[in-house]
Amino acid sequence: MTNYGLVIDQERCIGCQACAVSCKQENNVPMGQFWNRVLTEGGDKLDTPSGGYPEDGDDGTLDMHYQPTACQHCENAPCVKVCPVNATYTRDDGIVEIDYDKCIGCRYCMAACPYNARVFNWDEPEHVPEEGTGDVEARPQGVVEKCTFCSHRVEEGLDPACVVNCPADARIFGDLDEETSTVSKYVDTYETDRLLEDRGTDPKTYYIRGEMSPGRPQTSDKLESELDDEDNDEDDDAMPYVLPAESGGGD
Amino acid sequence: MGPTESSGIAVPAFGTKGKLWLGLLGALIVAGLAAWGYQLSTGLIATGMRNVFSWGLYIMMFVLFVGLSAGGLIISSAPKFFHSHRYEGFARLGVLVSLACITVAGLLILPDIGRPERLYQFFTSPDFRSPMVWDFGIVMLYGTLNLWYLWLLTRRDLAAAGSRLAFGRKDTEAGRERDRKLMFWTASVALPTAVALHSVTGWIFATQIGRGDWFSPLVAPVFIAKALVSGLGLLLVVAVLADRFTRFRVDREELASLGKVLGIFLAFHVVYLLAAERLPHAWADHFGFWAITESFLIGESAYFWLWTVLGGALPLGMLAVPSLRKRVSVIVTAGALAVVGTMFEGIRLVFTGYEIANIDAAPGISLGGTYTGLTTDIWATTGSYTPTLIEIVVTLGIIAIGALIVTVGMRYVPMQQPDGQHAYATDGGNQEHERN
Repeated sequence: MTNYGLVIDQERCIGCQACAVSCKQENNVPMGQFWNRVLTEGGDKLDTPSGGYPEDGDDGTLDMHYQPTACQHCENAPCVKVCPVNATYTRDDGIVEIDYDKCIGCRYCMAACPYNARVFNWDEPEHVPEEGTGDVEARPQGVVEKCTFCSHRVEEGLDPACVVNCPADARIFGDLDEETSTVSKYVDTYETDRLLEDRGTDPKTYYIRGEMSPGRPQTSDKLESELDDEDNDEDDDAMPYVLPAESGGGD
Repeated sequence: MGPTESSGIAVPAFGTKGKLWLGLLGALIVAGLAAWGYQLSTGLIATGMRNVFSWGLYIMMFVLFVGLSAGGLIISSAPKFFHSHRYEGFARLGVLVSLACITVAGLLILPDIGRPERLYQFFTSPDFRSPMVWDFGIVMLYGTLNLWYLWLLTRRDLAAAGSRLAFGRKDTEAGRERDRKLMFWTASVALPTAVALHSVTGWIFATQIGRGDWFSPLVAPVFIAKALVSGLGLLLVVAVLADRFTRFRVDREELASLGKVLGIFLAFHVVYLLAAERLPHAWADHFGFWAITESFLIGESAYFWLWTVLGGALPLGMLAVPSLRKRVSVIVTAGALAVVGTMFEGIRLVFTGYEIANIDAAPGISLGGTYTGLTTDIWATTGSYTPTLIEIVVTLGIIAIGALIVTVGMRYVPMQQPDGQHAYATDGGNQEHERN
């Protein structure tokens, strides 16, 4: 079975917000809404540390980390259990997704989600540019929406937009049920936390803190599992050409 | 007027005052419909709710009205279940008020739904793990049960008065005898259904691990207590108002007796259950004796004080003093305060769930409101909520529908034993049984 998960290396994360912005573009997220947010762990404001500057030869206590936060795609997802009409459901590949045709807009899932990962279209969604961006299903007024792990990309064999567009390679996506996948190896090797673990939601998003990992290994925007076949014969010649094209085009 | 008076109808005809009252209710309903229409066209942006605080007045009032619908049915059915004549004078009015309140509660869900036109999904694609599906089922069942019970209690009298609402039933002695048994069986179904209704509504909240105080096994028992307090409070207020403005007559003895019962319910809810809920937290969170005591006694919000003092200690005190508690004015005031207090308890419950975000690092959670383009006002790290005028007008309109149901019910359904009928509607067993 496939069971997709995400590893975020907070030691690599530079807080550039590229994942938050590329998510908004890729998924045509309405104005005033975010599916993916980069939170600052530290001071009261964005990009501010806690603690103080070094003084009189002492060490300073400044401390700051970035915590990119979106739907955690929990195994024991409370949002799935509360949805009265099966609009929110867990796919066979572990992605928690919403059927916008079924959603009645009762917002019980928003009450259930301890991460505040879900947003509701309080009015007619507004997009810039007006015709919208990305290649995803439109969401009308009155439904709840959230991160889908870019299921439309994953189905095409591509990594989620936030993963591909992270310039620090801090986001690694893959199959947690596959022992040899990078995500499985990192979860085994590094010290990882999951958010609000005490609530028993069993999230599939892991955060590395402490020792920095080598990050996302591939430069291609393909899923790791898709790389295996062509990887070996193409790798040496193709890579130099892939790289510039990728950084120019973006997603 | 003679025949109508003996038929037990509380409002034989609408006079000037009655018509004014109906006009007022009609105006409120029309205003509510207009406000809902406006909200449908703009979306729920017309409300004070946003992504952090995503349930508001509609759900707070839903919780209140589910509770209010308990009192009547329990006061009517509990004595019947135990083959008692007590509180007979309140039985029919109680069921009518209960029916009105559960209708209001059900209707309050409509404006809260983002896409009400998709509500059919409850039938085509239900997930039976969802407490909301359980609640949907039990509200429907409870509403139907109330309607059936009201008809069962009154259909022989309706037949005697030649009302079409008897739907062909005849007023026969055998029929009345059969109805008595049916009443016992209905009561024996109604009591557990009422308990289930309030527990399931409590479990909507109590199952949620992400929302502060919601995740507590005490929530369901507290909902039962709230229902007893507020439901009985409302019934007493409505009964006295009916006595004042219609031909409905309240038995002073029964009224005073029910006042005492209200006092017991209040003591159980606002003193005992609240203490049971707060003490373990206060003890675990603090070290010194006075710190524990303070944390136990002192609440965190205005809603807490409005509930415990205005809606708890004050009516409880009024009902505790023997020289006061027999006065009708005191009973009515205590009943009204109990309803107000329960309302604030529900408001407090919703606030404790949404005020504090579990993950509140900057910049916070996107609110989903309209971006003015001036500041970073799309973010919030805590939840705040004030209902808009639209929400208030819609809510008042729906409550007016409930008041209309009670008013029309009193006009067409006999609320009291017609003159000349011997005591009716007591037991499911029969006299022979009791003699044995």
